Amino acid sequence: MSGLGTTSGPVLACGEVHTCLLPTSDAVDERAAEQLLRLRTDEPVRLSRHPSRYAVSPGLLTGVDCWMPSVTGTRSRAVGTVTARAAIVEGRVLQSSAYFSAPACGPDRRQSWGHYLVRPGCLIPVGRLPVRSVAEGFLAGPRQNELDIGPIAESLTARISRHRILDLSPPLTTADTSLRWTATPAAGGKETSVLFTKADDGLRTVELRLPHATTPAAAAGLCEDLALHDWLLTTVAYKLDGLQAGYEDSRLLKVLCSLVDHLLHLWMPLSRVDRTLHTAWEELDENSGYSRQWNALAQRIRDQLVLRAVRSRSELLTSD
Amino acid sequence: MLVLAASDKGGTGRSVTSANLAYQRSLDGDDVCFLDFDFGSPTAAAVFDLPDGVHRAEGCGLHSYLQGRTGEPLRIDVWSRTEHPALRDRPAGSGRLVLLPGDRTGGEFLTTEENRHRLVDLVLRLQREFSFLFVDLSAGRSYAVDLLLTATSPHAGLGRLENRWLVFHRWTRQHVMAAAELAYGSQGLVHAGTAMGHQPDVLSGSIRFVRAAVPDLESPLWSQVSPAQYVWMRQCDQALEELAAGRGIGKARVLASIPLEPVLQWQERLITDEDVYDRGIARNETWQAMKDLAQRLTIDTFWGQW
Amino acid sequence: MSGTESAFRETSAEPRTEALPYSHLSLELGHLYMEDFVEGPSRLRRHFAAVRPWADAARAGLGTLNSDKRPRISTCFLIDDYFSRLSTPAELIPPLLEAAAEAGLTIDYLARESGCAGPVSGGTEPLAGSSGRRDRVELAECVLRRLVESPPPDSTGFRPPVSRTGWLTNGRRSPFQRISPALNSTGAVWQPPSETGARGHSVFMDVELWSGPEEERSWSCAFLAALWQLVRLGLLRDNGHAVLTPTPWEDKEFPADWDALAPVLRLDPRAAPFTAYVTSSVLPARFLPVEHAVRVILDQVHVEAEALGQVAERCAAEGFNVPAGVVDRISYVFPVGL
Repeated sequence: MSGLGTTSGPVLACGEVHTCLLPTSDAVDERAAEQLLRLRTDEPVRLSRHPSRYAVSPGLLTGVDCWMPSVTGTRSRAVGTVTARAAIVEGRVLQSSAYFSAPACGPDRRQSWGHYLVRPGCLIPVGRLPVRSVAEGFLAGPRQNELDIGPIAESLTARISRHRILDLSPPLTTADTSLRWTATPAAGGKETSVLFTKADDGLRTVELRLPHATTPAAAAGLCEDLALHDWLLTTVAYKLDGLQAGYEDSRLLKVLCSLVDHLLHLWMPLSRVDRTLHTAWEELDENSGYSRQWNALAQRIRDQLVLRAVRSRSELLTSD
Repeated sequence: MLVLAASDKGGTGRSVTSANLAYQRSLDGDDVCFLDFDFGSPTAAAVFDLPDGVHRAEGCGLHSYLQGRTGEPLRIDVWSRTEHPALRDRPAGSGRLVLLPGDRTGGEFLTTEENRHRLVDLVLRLQREFSFLFVDLSAGRSYAVDLLLTATSPHAGLGRLENRWLVFHRWTRQHVMAAAELAYGSQGLVHAGTAMGHQPDVLSGSIRFVRAAVPDLESPLWSQVSPAQYVWMRQCDQALEELAAGRGIGKARVLASIPLEPVLQWQERLITDEDVYDRGIARNETWQAMKDLAQRLTIDTFWGQW
Repeated sequence: MSGTESAFRETSAEPRTEALPYSHLSLELGHLYMEDFVEGPSRLRRHFAAVRPWADAARAGLGTLNSDKRPRISTCFLIDDYFSRLSTPAELIPPLLEAAAEAGLTIDYLARESGCAGPVSGGTEPLAGSSGRRDRVELAECVLRRLVESPPPDSTGFRPPVSRTGWLTNGRRSPFQRISPALNSTGAVWQPPSETGARGHSVFMDVELWSGPEEERSWSCAFLAALWQLVRLGLLRDNGHAVLTPTPWEDKEFPADWDALAPVLRLDPRAAPFTAYVTSSVLPARFLPVEHAVRVILDQVHVEAEALGQVAERCAAEGFNVPAGVVDRISYVFPVGL
């Protein structure tokens, strides 16, 4: 796959990442993760152990032929395939990611299907692609009969969730998030830029301008990393929100312990992000203070647990 | 946990009681989702005091989702959208309370393989977020009942989820017989479920009955009745108890009896502690019965095969 | 994209796609049901006598495609031991080979249909060895997962996957009406199915790929026939490894059990390679609907880019003109009298 903005390459890449807790009581081991992600039997699940355990499925293609989203009302059609893959982080978090890239223009009519199958993950416009309008429309969300890749990502999550090795009793309830992203090549000489927006209902949008020749897969990788850390922060912050006010002690302890057992060790930004894209995360982190907030939350959880341990010890001592 | 609310007939207080159970569990800190599968007459939006709920759900509610007309059914956050004055401030320590409304114009639908797949996908997605999923099912052996019955059978997608059936019925001769028929009759849940792959003893162990609008003769409501009326009503109550026992839905299989509640006769609504203590419009017994019932959903000694 | 890829180098070697030898043409000398064999040697003689002139024609036709070298052609025959097993290899194979020889035809490679469905195995290594390598994986399952449905217009990405329905079409189905009209609020009226990219009028086809529950799927004849074409075209790999590579068999005797035979046998040690750039099949006309289905399926298989690339490279080097589309690489003859 050629990179963004190269001569024959795409001018736009878009995707959506769904992030959720793997619906099972304990983190799964590498073997189980491999079993869950074997969405195709003729290609291996790729595994990595450092700096954290990570497994990613082979890519799956879905054919589409429809109107592209648009904010200006300019109707443009595209035909091709959307790539989707699923990944499991530390045996605990499941991410499904669907993305595609698109060149600036294509033939004036639909070609034979084989023409599109040899360009996996590429949506080829019928005629010219109104890039800006499509990118903005994609982030705004699809309207009736427009390209909707959320269900493509979600279908992977659904498929994996049905697997019999998952016991369907997660240690804590967590809300899923969807992160929708677009990437266009940064204008000549300009730096990488990231515009991250949090909406209601677990939806996030990310507008990226990336270095010339960044591959769509690398852009998707960056967004999967952003989605993972945003989900972690959102989940832990939500679980801690208001805990002190109304929860009795045993309940609080249960929540704190499950956060420590299952989520606290997962924070590891940029583990698998292409080096040329590190500035994107750094810029985002600088503005949003994600890492600082995470460190504060993690510290608070640990402090709470220490306090509780001290308290229960002193109670034991006084009762003796 | 999946709580499936069924009833032999309409007018049993199924929707309003299960909505109250959902409310109670979320007050206790559980994250709760309520799915309105009463496609004939979706009422949950009204019970939760979400006046625009029915209108907003049109074309994007549960029925449209199952038919594949929308990728994601509408969700309404009850705490933030309700117009019920006592509910608008979410109490500290409470869990989430989300309604997935049915579509008003949907009508009934047939059980098909694709409907079932879509249902399984939805429930698996929701159960990551919520510890309780209440499903309010259309009355009788409806399509909604069949759909859930197939989806929860051991080899279907939801077989591994803990699921508990509540059969609601009123405390009359006709209702007792109809409720027993719905559970154990030749067209009932256990027979139909067995044909769909359920273990009959496991399935019947997961079915309990809720008697709704039961007149409590000792309560002040009935203090004005004549001695003759009192004796007659006692006899009726006794006869009903015998009938119920004979049909296999006697006391041991009853999870709760919800007393006749004047407030609910007038308005299908959530009963809040404010209604009981501050305004004094609802009876403490009703409030307590709802609370107990909500707790019993997760107390294992109330469940299983005897 | 250095960072992303290098993270995986530690555990999984870079994917490598095994190279295969290629003939120019793989010629299939017919396909028979078990019932046909039961009819006896005269039925087989009649079959090969009818095939012979077309086999010659296929050879002759190839000469014009490739002028500078002598074409490499291999012949094959597929025995259906998947749907029924009326007879044993010992009883069935020798008369088959004799009947072919009488018509002046040689069967270079003999394949079993259940080999197409069954567990993946490189033919040269014993079956047990390959199943020990990993879980029992069906080759058919691999191909099923490589299907990418051709989207009819207005496919936005929101459709049930084929792996769930088990049916594959060349267009758009008529929307089904299971809801009684009284309850159907959408007011939808019947709509005809349509073929994607049809010229004027549609020839709509809906192909059943498998039936039965997931654990014990029964693969359809059409799906296995599509797989058979992909195998002959040398376009299938399992984790980069070749699949169904032929096992030499030079005994005159054949076993009593089909499962004792490798999925693909090479009967003639001097035969040209089994896999080929293009294929031709001489088949009874009753297989026409099946082969139409094969084309519908092949049009929607996402073939591994590496495998396609290898063939393209080899063909370019030999000056052989191979069509770009997989479906355009297969051809048929349906003669009278088969």
